[in-house]
Amino acid sequence: MEDLLREAGEKALKAAHKKGMQAEVFLSQQRSMNLELRDGQVETLKQAEEKGLGLRLLNAGRLAFVYSADLSAEAIEQAVNDAMDISRYTPADKWNSFPAGPYLYSTMELYDENIPVSRLEEKIEMAQAAEEAARRSDKRVKLIEKSGYEEGECTSLLMNSHGLYAWGKANYALLYLSLAAREDDESQSGFSVMIKRKIKDLEAGAVGQEAAMRAVRGLKSRRIDSASLPCIIEPYVMARFLGLIAHLVSAEAVQKGKSLLAGKIGEKMASGVLSISDDATLGEGLGSFPFDGEGVPSRRTSVIKDGVLMTYLYDHYSACKAGVESTGHGRRASFRHLPAVGSSNFILEAGEESPEQMIAGVDKGLYITEIMGLHTANPVSGDFSLGAAGLLIEKGALSYPVRGITIGGNLLDFLQNIDAVGNDLRSFGARFAPSVRLRSLSVAGN
Amino acid sequence: MLEKSVLQRVLDEAMKKGGDLAELYYEEKQMSQVIYEDERVDKITSGREKGVGIRVIKEGNTAYVYTSDLSEEGLLKAASTAGKSLGKAGPVQEKAISLSGQEPGIGRTSRDLLGDFTYPDKINQLLAANQAVRDLGEEIRQVTMALSDIHKEIQIANSDGELLEDAYSRVRLSVNAVASRNGLIQSAYESAGAVSGWEILDKIDFVAMAEKAGRLALKMLSAAPAPAGSMPVVLAGEAGGTMVHEACGHGLEADLLQKGLSVYQGKYGEMVAAPGVTVIDDATLEGHYGSFRMDDEGQAAERSVLIRDGELQGFMYDRLTASQEKKDSSGNGRRESYQHKPIPRMSNTFIAPGREEAEKIIKATPRGLLVKKMGGGQVNTINGDFVFDVQEAYLIEAGEIKEAVRGATLTGNGPRVLRDIDMLGNDLGFTIGVCGKEGQGVPVSDGQPTMRIKELTVGGTASPGGPQMKKIRRK
Repeated sequence: MEDLLREAGEKALKAAHKKGMQAEVFLSQQRSMNLELRDGQVETLKQAEEKGLGLRLLNAGRLAFVYSADLSAEAIEQAVNDAMDISRYTPADKWNSFPAGPYLYSTMELYDENIPVSRLEEKIEMAQAAEEAARRSDKRVKLIEKSGYEEGECTSLLMNSHGLYAWGKANYALLYLSLAAREDDESQSGFSVMIKRKIKDLEAGAVGQEAAMRAVRGLKSRRIDSASLPCIIEPYVMARFLGLIAHLVSAEAVQKGKSLLAGKIGEKMASGVLSISDDATLGEGLGSFPFDGEGVPSRRTSVIKDGVLMTYLYDHYSACKAGVESTGHGRRASFRHLPAVGSSNFILEAGEESPEQMIAGVDKGLYITEIMGLHTANPVSGDFSLGAAGLLIEKGALSYPVRGITIGGNLLDFLQNIDAVGNDLRSFGARFAPSVRLRSLSVAGN
Repeated sequence: MLEKSVLQRVLDEAMKKGGDLAELYYEEKQMSQVIYEDERVDKITSGREKGVGIRVIKEGNTAYVYTSDLSEEGLLKAASTAGKSLGKAGPVQEKAISLSGQEPGIGRTSRDLLGDFTYPDKINQLLAANQAVRDLGEEIRQVTMALSDIHKEIQIANSDGELLEDAYSRVRLSVNAVASRNGLIQSAYESAGAVSGWEILDKIDFVAMAEKAGRLALKMLSAAPAPAGSMPVVLAGEAGGTMVHEACGHGLEADLLQKGLSVYQGKYGEMVAAPGVTVIDDATLEGHYGSFRMDDEGQAAERSVLIRDGELQGFMYDRLTASQEKKDSSGNGRRESYQHKPIPRMSNTFIAPGREEAEKIIKATPRGLLVKKMGGGQVNTINGDFVFDVQEAYLIEAGEIKEAVRGATLTGNGPRVLRDIDMLGNDLGFTIGVCGKEGQGVPVSDGQPTMRIKELTVGGTASPGGPQMKKIRRK
């Protein structure tokens, strides 16, 4: 596969060079398989294969981007011509350039040979086992919404006019389950996803039990009055907040005035118990890869250390503009996308206390297990107002479930308000979070 | 497009191990986008893509294989993989499949001007719009705009012998304006889109649209923080139908119903909304963002009444879910691309207008929130709970529109909201969006008249101690 992609890439570079242009070609081939069960049987089986290239062409400082899912000689010629056309209309920008390297890439073990060779039946059995574990764990689990297994692999290759050449391959396997529990007239949903680099690390039983637990604990929910309450945020919910923080530390967002963290490097912008790092070199974690979408080698970056903002995440362009080095965060969603600043594995570092100890320290508060509408948070002002659900904490213990509330405030206050970080670090794809405790949060109810 | 003889051979291969339906979906598309930001053209991107999705259905189960390898060999391999994926062999069709071409659904009158509207034309529009927004004042800090278009050619062939072809263009225009004053930052968003070429600019004034976003961002700088608590909410017609789409529409999609995932399961024929409330999904509306001539399974577009005068009367089906109930598809089988299997989706979904003048509804409301512009939302289809972000809202006091408020969200329960509608206006407004379901995004539009909901939970950042509206002070 490397040969096929490399030949296509060379053709594209050659065509661009012939027109006197600089260029960069990102090529990838992806395969995936996804099976979804219904009542224990395979309802949908999907197999996919695609390849394509994304071409960035530089015409006297003016950048064009074109992609093609067709790697034939004619399609590549067409792509280069389309890019030439576009480059007549984009503005010249002195920061537009491609990383020159030379770089040394570390070898990373991101490909599990057992994923493609494992038999389909074994994969079906794993998904079935997750379903069974959920049904067995509580009889109020009445309905399996979706359960399935998915695997994917990606080969990526990057080359540019400076002679940079990077190649890598990775795969993953995952199990998922979402279900509904019912009691009397009330239904509540629960889900669980487990993503692993090695198929043997998937634990079907844990997936089933967690999905069931999440649904069942929400039954018999009540509403509560509006109040400001101490809150404990579950790792899953905190991982979603991390997504928002990852966006705010993007140098691209900062330079475009779209982040409230602009100008805050070196400032204590969060509680001293909070440290966040980004690390693309981990063996585990969906964000691991030897290089980013521009061919810059992966590394570990300390983003927030003891509440102090250490750095933003940079791709090549934002780094040139800021006069620093790229931190290897020019990420691409696929060959159809331009590289843009994005996190790899984004990790809120674990603290000391167990979640039980953290709950025990709260007299009256809220344990938040679900949030809705996080994408509506304002990245510039930091204001957010989210739908939420959880469990009430009374006298240091979890009490009844609560629904139909909104939590609101400002993200910076939220980060300053964190007074404890749990030791229960968990990974959710490319985000890693433990539980955290907030001194107080505004909760709107009745 | 693929040749008929190739299609026939590929479908025969897919059905080799038996099955109820084999289908091939060919798609060839070309898209481009111009993004303007920071007073300059920020990015121009374009792409071309061709691919085929092959689907085999056997006893209600689906195998789906897609590939960008369009050689006959590649297609036969994909078809064979799909045919073999569903395990045990079913009854094998003896006769080879013979395809006959058909016309897709309703006719089309719009011109297709995608190609005539060049990059310089687009850039001129963007420059004019940017100038108009910047002219609103120094407090405008950023204007981000995008003009996007896509041209698609599709071909659908299936083992029932149907062969349909269609080609269409779709365009989208969007503006986001950011304004700032004394550290307070507010943004406002406007968008428009249609199944159309760029002749849409004969009907839509892009510069005026951009100015509207700029004015709203400026206005929100002076807005007070939204109140928190339960109160009556008037949704203006111009706010569009995000609420009906999220809180009701998804629950009427047949796949969710058949899996028992809808709050509307088993409620056919029952009163599920207040009397007077009629909900319609209509893909035949010309030029709307969610319109089509035929759906992505080749079924003709339809207008479906889902709820009539409060009574649940219909659901949205694709072929597979319809066949489970021995019904015909309602023409709601849609997919994002050749990489996705079709599933029941909405098109243009709206609450039909009632009789009241919009002004009267506000006059009849002693106290509450008037929502003029909705933001994004999220809904839990199992229990119907939803949350929506509000972009533009005003307090209503003694039947009059008072000050603007910012940062509000609406939290509630879909089925309850439909029953709690107590006044319906005689207007009708639509907004556009890309609806996500099972990882597939499809273009939709949603509409509603001005209407009042007896009570909703408003989440705001003001006075968390309780919804004492009079205590609200400007920051």
